[in-house]
Amino acid sequence: MQSILFWSAVTLYALATVAWFAWAAFGRKWGAGAGTALLAAGLLPHAGSLALRWVEVGHGPYNTRYEVISADTFILVAVWLVATLVARGLRGLGVFVAPSAFLLMGWAVSTFELKREVPIIFKSWWLVMHIGFAKLFFAAILLAACCAAAWLIKERNPSALSSLPSTEKLDLYAHQFMIVSFLFLGVMIVAGALWAHQSWGRYWGWDPIETSALVTWIVFGIVLHFRVLHRWTGRRMAWLTFVALGFAVVTLFVVAILVPTIHNSYMVGS
Amino acid sequence: MSRLVSLLRSPRLALSVIGFLAAWTGVGAWAPWIQPGGPPAPAWAVAVGLDHPFTAWAFLVGIALLFASTFACTWGRRARVVAIGRGELPPSATRLPPGEGDVRAFLAAEGFRGHGEVLTRFAPALWGGWLLHVGLLVLIATVLVQHAFSDSGTFDLSEGERASLAAHGTVFGRERGPLAPEALPDVQVALVRFDPFRKQHGYSSDRLSELEITLPGEAPLVETVDRASGIRAGGVEIFQAIPTGMAMTFEIPGMGMRTVRLTEETPRRAAAEVTDPVGMPARFVVEAERDIDGAAGPGKLLVWMESRGTRRALLPGMPFPFGAGEARVLAMGRWGRFTYTRTPWLWGVFTGFGAILAGCTLLAFPAGVARLGRPGEGAAAVVFTVRGGPALVAEWKRAGPPA
Repeated sequence: MQSILFWSAVTLYALATVAWFAWAAFGRKWGAGAGTALLAAGLLPHAGSLALRWVEVGHGPYNTRYEVISADTFILVAVWLVATLVARGLRGLGVFVAPSAFLLMGWAVSTFELKREVPIIFKSWWLVMHIGFAKLFFAAILLAACCAAAWLIKERNPSALSSLPSTEKLDLYAHQFMIVSFLFLGVMIVAGALWAHQSWGRYWGWDPIETSALVTWIVFGIVLHFRVLHRWTGRRMAWLTFVALGFAVVTLFVVAILVPTIHNSYMVGS
Repeated sequence: MSRLVSLLRSPRLALSVIGFLAAWTGVGAWAPWIQPGGPPAPAWAVAVGLDHPFTAWAFLVGIALLFASTFACTWGRRARVVAIGRGELPPSATRLPPGEGDVRAFLAAEGFRGHGEVLTRFAPALWGGWLLHVGLLVLIATVLVQHAFSDSGTFDLSEGERASLAAHGTVFGRERGPLAPEALPDVQVALVRFDPFRKQHGYSSDRLSELEITLPGEAPLVETVDRASGIRAGGVEIFQAIPTGMAMTFEIPGMGMRTVRLTEETPRRAAAEVTDPVGMPARFVVEAERDIDGAAGPGKLLVWMESRGTRRALLPGMPFPFGAGEARVLAMGRWGRFTYTRTPWLWGVFTGFGAILAGCTLLAFPAGVARLGRPGEGAAAVVFTVRGGPALVAEWKRAGPPA
């Protein structure tokens, strides 16, 4: 059942990608509506597959790469949908969200693994906060990068992606998502520090991922200072947003794969 | 003096310091010689202190500069925020050009509220940046103070053993800040029960200990501790660590009970070197039927002592020559490792964290203050927003054609 729900979600995300492509490449107006509906519909079986997995293994989606990436994808689509309720202009970002969701699900299923037990140090509510905000952070910075990408496309060809808002608004939304991701990353770091203190009596240990998260937070601070102090906007800020996304991806996924760290288990197994 | 303050307040310095700290910290996270079992640090890295990046003078100077720069930038910012809240907007505020549209209605649609000349949007959120920077100052200051006063160490206990942390030889691997008390914590700890492979529902097998902790003049406190969370007694926190092994308790007439902690030589063999009461070396060895640290338990144990070129099998209760007299094995059990910490000022560190997060939360709101244009000012309104000024102007131009 879990597999059926998972593959239903993958199928709906794939169809959403096709619909959004029809909208972006061929100007099919139905594409945006259908793409949004398909992405929203995909969330239902996706939630079901995550819930069944949770029940089966007895813990949240944080112990294998499959669980982590699948849950990250769910949060990405959910955050985008919620954001479209607040700012309707963000709906057009579906053209980036749909293929991202489809590809991430592909990555998730390529590393399917089942682990029923987690280490005893996972017995903490701070862990839930730490991981929950890591997922929200990833979704927020990915959406900021989507806004930056849309800005670059619209700047080159103003008539492209017609239902997306103006370049000024896209720049503002990218800034807004960046601020929110800065907050989420901060909460992730602090919750991790509290968790470490609860388990080991120290809140900071210079673990590679811990340090990489701090570097990412500092880089986000630098980017935000360029916006606020030097009034950088537009093209330069779009590229800086991609740099920030790069740091986020390195922290969340790459370091855990390449460097021995206490955080290895969620990306490379125990 | 004013030149120094101007330098410290300059955005260029702030960004340079933050950039340096990001780069230095990044090297600290990634450098191969920092990784466990990595190669030795190259000479150039040793020369600049990158073999110990987070205690190197360059890093500490960077932190000091960050503190000074943040302090200089935050100083006076409170007055600026208060002034903006009153409608005294800085020259950098966005000017909405005169237009035919109803500027008050436009601003209301953009979330600005108010009745007089000054309209505000999420006004409390104007304090976000200030609060974030104050939080950063509190965090840097309290981390330094907390490090100066912090004290931690490691100790081993065997089942049934009681030890005073203050006693000589109990604690090892101590790390103490320069202002931390020299005396070890006056706490007695006894390991009542220890299970190295306790299964807790949903979690893989791990250590679980029952500790009896006695503070001076207080009744003993019995608490269970696992690796998920420590226990607090007085100003001391005690945590379960991973290392464990076999322990042998024996009795020496006239000297009482002694516990020897054996360390693993192979998965099925553990040994300990000791000196007997007359100063001769002796070696206790335990060989197990299965892996000593296997979850299934070690199974049957074979225990012997090697001393003066002979090997003697030991059984519970059986006397054996040890020094000038005889000793007797009482029990075989296990030992567990624990750490203690004393971390005063931790509340300050988390207050700093809290202020930073509160500031970030406020920054997420698009705060702004708008003042309606005055005659001769050449603007329908002057608007200060924490972000989105160009978008506001673009929307205004779309809403009402220029006059």
